[in-house]
Amino acid sequence: MKRTITLALAVLMLLPVAFAQGVPEGFGDGGKDVELSFFTGKVETIDVIDGIMDDFNALGNGITIEQEYQNDASNIIKIKFASGEVPDIMTTYEQEYVDQRQYLDLSDMNQWWDRLVPSMKDSCTDVNSGKQFRVCTNMTMAGFFYNKEIFDSLGLVPATNWTDFVKNLEAIKEAYPEIDPWFIFGSEAWSLGHLIEFIPHGYLKAKYGALETKKAMLANDKEVLGFGEPDGAMAAFARGLLEVQQKGLINSDVLTATSDNCIEAFVKGEAAMFSNGMWCLSSILAKDPSMADKIGFAPYPSMMEDGVPVVLVAEDSGYSISASSANQQQAIEFLDYLFSPDNQKRYSEALGSPSAFTDVDAAWAPQSVVDGVNEAVASAANIGYTNEKPAGFTGDDAGRMVQDLLAGRYTAEEFAKAYESAWDAGF
Amino acid sequence: MKTDRILSIIRIAALVLICLTCLVPFYVLLVLALNSPSRIFYEGNIFVPDFFFSNFIEAWHESRIGQAMVNSAIITSGTLALAIVLGGLAGYAIARRKTRFNKFVFGLLLSCMMIPGIINTVPLYTLMRHLHAVNTLYGMILVCSTLALPSAVFIYSTFISSLPMELDEAAVLDGCTGCSVFWRIIFPVMKPATASFVILNGFGIWNNYSQSVFFLQSRSKQNIPQALSVFFQQFGGADWNMMAATATIAIIPVVAVFLVFQKQFINGLASGAVKG
Amino acid sequence: MDVKHKDFVQFLSVPALCLYLVFFVYPLIQGVGMSFTDWDGMGRAAFVGFDNYAAFFSDDRAMNDIRTTIIFAIASATLLNLVGLAYALLMDRRFPLRGLVRVIIYLPAIISPLIMGYIWYFLLQPQRGFLYHALMQLGLPDFVGNWVLSYPKSLAVLVAVNVWQFAGMTMIIYLAGLQSISCDLIDAARIDGAGSTQIFFHIKLPLLVPAIRINVVTNIIGSLSVFDIIMSLTQGGPGYSTESLSIYIMRMCYGNKTGYSTAVAMMLFLIILIPVLVSLRLTQSKD
Repeated sequence: MKRTITLALAVLMLLPVAFAQGVPEGFGDGGKDVELSFFTGKVETIDVIDGIMDDFNALGNGITIEQEYQNDASNIIKIKFASGEVPDIMTTYEQEYVDQRQYLDLSDMNQWWDRLVPSMKDSCTDVNSGKQFRVCTNMTMAGFFYNKEIFDSLGLVPATNWTDFVKNLEAIKEAYPEIDPWFIFGSEAWSLGHLIEFIPHGYLKAKYGALETKKAMLANDKEVLGFGEPDGAMAAFARGLLEVQQKGLINSDVLTATSDNCIEAFVKGEAAMFSNGMWCLSSILAKDPSMADKIGFAPYPSMMEDGVPVVLVAEDSGYSISASSANQQQAIEFLDYLFSPDNQKRYSEALGSPSAFTDVDAAWAPQSVVDGVNEAVASAANIGYTNEKPAGFTGDDAGRMVQDLLAGRYTAEEFAKAYESAWDAGF
Repeated sequence: MKTDRILSIIRIAALVLICLTCLVPFYVLLVLALNSPSRIFYEGNIFVPDFFFSNFIEAWHESRIGQAMVNSAIITSGTLALAIVLGGLAGYAIARRKTRFNKFVFGLLLSCMMIPGIINTVPLYTLMRHLHAVNTLYGMILVCSTLALPSAVFIYSTFISSLPMELDEAAVLDGCTGCSVFWRIIFPVMKPATASFVILNGFGIWNNYSQSVFFLQSRSKQNIPQALSVFFQQFGGADWNMMAATATIAIIPVVAVFLVFQKQFINGLASGAVKG
Repeated sequence: MDVKHKDFVQFLSVPALCLYLVFFVYPLIQGVGMSFTDWDGMGRAAFVGFDNYAAFFSDDRAMNDIRTTIIFAIASATLLNLVGLAYALLMDRRFPLRGLVRVIIYLPAIISPLIMGYIWYFLLQPQRGFLYHALMQLGLPDFVGNWVLSYPKSLAVLVAVNVWQFAGMTMIIYLAGLQSISCDLIDAARIDGAGSTQIFFHIKLPLLVPAIRINVVTNIIGSLSVFDIIMSLTQGGPGYSTESLSIYIMRMCYGNKTGYSTAVAMMLFLIILIPVLVSLRLTQSKD
């Protein structure tokens, strides 16, 4: 008895060691294939990427690739980097890893850059080094989605400045008291963070140019940013939000409404407009395909006297290769395959956003929507998305400050001051 | 007699009320699972769903929940088995031999139970990588058993301490050696402790997400919460109908296991009656 | 007793210890080391001594989170035990469908708390939730109101959902304890003329001590490290008003303050340790 138990104990103690010597994953069937890992946080593209990967693996060119999807990709990739296990290809991108040269320099990949819309190549360019460490295959836009039926019935056109914008909201409120003129789904902090990114930051980007603003953000140049100024863009933004809240021009449950609520309200005609990106289109059309004819798209009006209307045109679906990957050549080979016009057409249509490649003609949305979006993009200053923010002060954190603003914890001037100090503290 | 009847009516009313409160969210889950994707949740009669059964078929394929349930089942049973054996042995030693060493082991395990696991993430991931245990079910079992071990040791030692010492002594007089006392006498009467441990930890392991996001990567290795996570959209909201359908599918085997397990559990309780 | 056997038995805790040392303590030591650095999770780390610990005490957000966490834990651990015990007392007698009722009460605990939080938000969302609409359809006023805007109300909702979810678990442990009390003992007391209340306090309660010990300790630890329920119901908002310490640690860890988050985690450990030690002492077996 005693001996058996001793033996059992010995086995148990050796268990981890025995496992450690175990067969590595995925081998055993004699295959000599190079195995590539592909890490993504983009839930919309899981299926289309799986399909493209299956086709690629079936080519039998000695490479197999597998997709890992994680909901919290941007957090999990940090653990992977910190532990030294980095996927060969990934869709997450962090400025600090760029600075550490953790991504492969793709600047010489002219077979891709030559096909890309020039502004998208700029968006992929690292400000500090002037090099490219990722390729984005798509573009996305953000602005105000509005209900054309409601606007037409009142003879309204989308406003280009704040005064007209408020007048529009008031006209809607007066004609249809039961409709929320502007629906804000503030329970999701990221959406409020986006408002800051598109409106007050957007003002700076339109005024000083994308590159200058990014540089000012990286250097925390207060002359340019001026977040704390009582007459600056941030205070104007806060003042505007408080104004529409006071006048009842936004939904009364702004702090508890979710994006699902917003889409349902819009589809039911209970919300006249809301701010969001192209990614919400598929949800709207899933609820009601006939909305395709009613969706209007407009730029953000300027809240500042000297501002211009802006619309976000940003990179989407960026791909990077790990600088420490042992299979860089194979990774490039896969990306070549993924970036082929046929696969990109398939990809864009699945993702529901326009391709960044000039030779890809994808029907990414119903034609009426595409036309409206193109018109809005042509009519306004195009701003990009800035990743050059302090790492300790995320868009989510900024959104939480807007929640506090809407909960009545700040005046507009206090908000601007608090934003500036949070920004400084994040540095 | 009359007060007795009133009391029993109150008792039944209370039980019915409790059951209803427990079931309401599941009803919502079911309504969501049975609504068509174009249905607006709060429109019309919220109590009656669309009976859109194809959600279940689509959810089954899209989430690969079948594979995920198999994986979750392997991980859960492996983890419970390992933790029960190691925890039972340790709990016995700690309860019956109060040496300085055993007190140390108990103190160590119990304090670590209170340390937020997030601290370990990076070093543990590095270790698992060196052991080639990332993206394997056995690796996940080792990590989960480690996390469940303090609870097992705590429950077993508490239960064994409450058993009379005479039980061991009588066995020793009957000629049992130290270890066979454990296997023949203690282990059988520990069923309530085992049941308690399974109850407290089993479904946490079944629903584990904080470890699985790191240690289960490929879709063939994913567990249930990861299968559900494909329905959460990147920017807000989720595909609620699909998610609810998947979650409903995932509940069925658990309820089945629980119903079966319940009989065992009651038997376990009966044999635990030595305590009184 | 045979000394040799005794010696052997005392080492039965070794295999558990081995597993634990490899997969928890070894990574933990490295992890705790990070609490003395300014590591941002990505770049290089520099040693900063006890700066992170000092910073903790002047961190307003952390202090607010401690308050939220402690209020939540006190309410939730107390209620879980009282409700669980009450459920167990209700269930501790034979009646038809008892098995089914037990499963139903336990049902909430088997579904991932993350999903459950969203389901509850569907139910309780101010001005839109299932409950609001049901009340409207039944012609009743909305008595819940906008709980998100009020700190006490949001905490009450969070506690209620947590208790709802885990009361079944607590109940089963108590039920196990109650059912192992021999009927003879209670019958004897009844013959001696003891009433139900007396039987409960003088016979059942003392014999329930092991169950109480397990439930109290488990619930204290669980409630003080609450994460999922808050994350899915309020995301710690609006602002950071209902954030718990565990959520703060996670956000700091993946923000650029990984070193600091480790220090906060050590503080949370101390916050949990104290009530656990007290309850262990109070429920110690007589020897």
